[in-house]
Amino acid sequence: MTDSTSQGVRVAIGGSTQIRCVVNGEAVIIETEVRRSLSDVIRQELGLTGTHLGCEHGVCGACTVLLDGEPVRSCLMLGVQADGTEITTIEGLADGDIYHPVQQAMHDSHGFQCAFCAPGFLMTTVALLERNPHPSEEEIRNELSGNLCRCTGYQSIIDGVTQAVVLIDAADNAITNATEAGNG
Amino acid sequence: MVEQSKQTSGLGGFVGTSVKRVEDRRLLTGTGQFVADVLPKDCLHAAFLRSPYPHANIVRIDTAAARAHKGVVTVVTGAELEQITNPFLPFSMLPDLYTPLYYGLSSERVRMVGDPVAIVVAVSRAVAEDALELIEVDYEALPPVASIEQALRPTSEPIWPKAKGNLLYDHTDSFGEVADVFAKADHVFTETFTCPRQSNQPMETRGTLVEVDPVTGEVTVRSATQSPHMLRWMMAAFTERQGPIKSLRRFLGDSERRSGFAAGAKAFVGEKGDALKDGDNAGMIHQIKTDPAMLRHLGRTLMGVTGKDRYVTVVADDIGGGFGAKGSVAREDIVVGAVAMAIGRSVTWIEDRVENLTDGGQAREEEMTLSIAADADGTVRGLKVDLTIDQGAYPGVPIGAAMISRMMQVMQPGSYRFEAFEQRSRIVATNKGKYVPYRGPWANETWARERMMNIVARRLGISQTEIRRKNMYGDEHYPAAMLTGPTLDVTMSVRKTLDRAIELADIEGFEAARATAAANGRHLGIGFASYHEAAPGPPNYWDCINPGTSALLDQPARATIGADGKVKIWTSQMPHGQSHQTTYAQIAADQLGVGIDDIELIYGNTAKTPFELAGTGGSRGGPVGGGAVRKAGRSLRKELIDFSANLLEANPDDITIADGVIHVAGVPAKGLTFAEVAAKAVQHDPSRGDLAFDVNETYLSAGDGGWSVATHVCWVEVDLETGFVSIPRYLVVEDCGPIINPAIVDGQVRGGVAQGIGAVLYEKSAYDEDANLQATTYMDYLIPTATEIPVIEVEHIETLSPGENDFRGVGEGGMLGAPAALTNAIDDALASRGVFITEQYLPPYRILELAGVIDPD
Repeated sequence: MTDSTSQGVRVAIGGSTQIRCVVNGEAVIIETEVRRSLSDVIRQELGLTGTHLGCEHGVCGACTVLLDGEPVRSCLMLGVQADGTEITTIEGLADGDIYHPVQQAMHDSHGFQCAFCAPGFLMTTVALLERNPHPSEEEIRNELSGNLCRCTGYQSIIDGVTQAVVLIDAADNAITNATEAGNG
Repeated sequence: MVEQSKQTSGLGGFVGTSVKRVEDRRLLTGTGQFVADVLPKDCLHAAFLRSPYPHANIVRIDTAAARAHKGVVTVVTGAELEQITNPFLPFSMLPDLYTPLYYGLSSERVRMVGDPVAIVVAVSRAVAEDALELIEVDYEALPPVASIEQALRPTSEPIWPKAKGNLLYDHTDSFGEVADVFAKADHVFTETFTCPRQSNQPMETRGTLVEVDPVTGEVTVRSATQSPHMLRWMMAAFTERQGPIKSLRRFLGDSERRSGFAAGAKAFVGEKGDALKDGDNAGMIHQIKTDPAMLRHLGRTLMGVTGKDRYVTVVADDIGGGFGAKGSVAREDIVVGAVAMAIGRSVTWIEDRVENLTDGGQAREEEMTLSIAADADGTVRGLKVDLTIDQGAYPGVPIGAAMISRMMQVMQPGSYRFEAFEQRSRIVATNKGKYVPYRGPWANETWARERMMNIVARRLGISQTEIRRKNMYGDEHYPAAMLTGPTLDVTMSVRKTLDRAIELADIEGFEAARATAAANGRHLGIGFASYHEAAPGPPNYWDCINPGTSALLDQPARATIGADGKVKIWTSQMPHGQSHQTTYAQIAADQLGVGIDDIELIYGNTAKTPFELAGTGGSRGGPVGGGAVRKAGRSLRKELIDFSANLLEANPDDITIADGVIHVAGVPAKGLTFAEVAAKAVQHDPSRGDLAFDVNETYLSAGDGGWSVATHVCWVEVDLETGFVSIPRYLVVEDCGPIINPAIVDGQVRGGVAQGIGAVLYEKSAYDEDANLQATTYMDYLIPTATEIPVIEVEHIETLSPGENDFRGVGEGGMLGAPAALTNAIDDALASRGVFITEQYLPPYRILELAGVIDPD
């Protein structure tokens, strides 16, 4: 820890610590400055630049990641607060070349334009559908009202969520049918 | 759920279908590359010290403590920057306009809250921000100028002393017998309209990374820019500050440089000579007279550019929206570039949101007084407009208030057959953020005119649809021209959109619902708005804005087939959300008989892409950029078929291409693949090198083109207990000609409407009476969310253009129509209370004030 004193203001410019977490299924140990936000840790220490910073004051939602399954604004947390947690970012959604159903649905629906906001919408939608697999349009709009998009007017994103419900149901049915067929 | 962007029908017919986006693979998986995602090893980080005062002299600045701070590499003040850069020079040189000279950092005077006065470059952004706090600046406050009204007072403190006051431009143009028409009309109606200051607010802020190669010294600028070539030239012009004698000596002493410059100049003047001759030199002469220093700086900049060893390369990858703001060359870009080059290190600057709301570009603050001379039957005959634009502290570069005042004037009469028109345009300086183009920069002419048409209709007791139908241009009037010059043809099909909108709107049904609601104390309203926009406009459009402009707007495209048979399309367009990779692949694939995934689009790198200054903006991506791609694709197809004809021993007319195979029609089995033909071509002529086929085409700005048009209809319910406005239905009937990709077009329309709704109900770059910005976060600058934006119905009419190219633009239209349709609807809902809406910003408290529910203040 190195402090310098100037004009009576103490400025901490060092101060690092170690945090351990599971990121996109992989256990990691990160050495980081104590004052770093979780979003900076994710983007700079882990090199996962798919999580975006739109406002850095918790309104736009672009930096949303899942922390133990719950959507959080990674710009409003310190990295050290994520010690011992499980983090999922946009990079953790697809299975190799196979899109996550929410990604597939957004692609099918022309969900995004510039897509800078996409990481936040995708992570929020994944969390929403975990909790509420069949949301009404009003519920979708309310749940996504914490994420800003400046390009689309939101309709294509809402369509994408609706389509994701269809894709997830179809996949679940396929699994159920396969299981039943297996049992039969 | 397997990825299915592999779309390879190869049978053509992609244009007109909602092909899924090629861009999505990287953008949906978090592997896109935005400027903040690139961080070279040992890259330094920049932060700007910004003025807390709206207007002040800088008495003293002390950077010693900041320089000594651990981790700080350099600190540069305004005075120091002036030693290594040239000032920003005027771009729109209109006669009567005063354009100030200023640098990337302010040295003697600050003119707005957020005005950059110093840059710190350090090992991290956090350390750079720590060091900002160690810089001491003594300011001597000056009286702030916070409004148009204050700026017009002769006693207001001049923000640019050489301008002799804060009125920087005052110009009037007349078309037709204005006095006569106004004297003879039955009525003259006059209203004054106000429009709030807004901000473009792309979700990604601005950002620039200047990479300096430690070995070669070569400089690459990575930037979120809508116009890479523009940034490259400005970076060259403003960061080259060797003395003119030295420049001249280097220029004259280097035959390669001399011949290169001569060839370039000859090519440019040879092509554009006629257009340039029409250019008006009066503006430049006026400005040099006003400030003789201009001549010295102009000379130095020109000599600097011509005497420069190498220009930077500008690279742009993914960009998180722009809406006009990233078409401007930022002062910060020049500062970061000059400082990185001076210290020979890579430096990145990623703007934060507070900076973006403060200094990332603001727009649309205008006051307009409109007078319409009308007859009792609803015929509108004359229009007079008095426009004042609040430019803020610094002009937008290259397009600022001056150019936008011209656009507003040319489009102001709109789609109506006025007999006479007069416009006075004034531009004032204030101590607020710089005024930049924002999606449809002229939009307030549409808003004010469409409001005024409704006011005239109400005063005369006719309906808003009747007054529009009665006065609109329609097919029976063509060929025709607007009073301000641009020609009108069948592509100006606005009346068709109005008629279709009336059909779909079910006005009778609405009136019944309104009556029922009124009986229950609820207030419903409906608003129409119609417009045509130059997207790209007729051949004479740009020269009506400012003579000579069209010569700068020709759009090149290159189409190549590599020795390996791969097709590439090269464009100077700079996608930032518009899906060019998908739509250009659709256009090129149709021409070449290949699949979407067989086309690679090359963009965003000035070392590779064809030269053109404008980049992406002005709804030009579809019509002009797409038009150039179609031309290049068509030429490439011809070359490919001509060459293959020999190999196939067939007449070129009998050859077709399908599914990536070139063959005699009906005999696909005996065809050749692109790779086979490319290999033969290179073998036949080794000088072709890596490129078996290489064609360049240009879509002329002054070529064919035409208008995009639309009618918007908005339904509202106004709650007079809370002041909230809800939008139960919104309809757009638009005609942008044949549609390349319907899903993408609908997305553009809806996105524009959302921003227009934001402008009226939520967004305002509010300043207090001392010119302090009140909306510096998203807690105060309200971007509408999914709960505020309604379902937007989009209906298409696809009128063909008589010219070669049918595509017309769609990027800006939504934003043009929405503020007018929405305010017309609110006006309609409150009409029974005698309210006439003349302001664009209508948050709940204002609705309640206007309706007389609460008292102002």
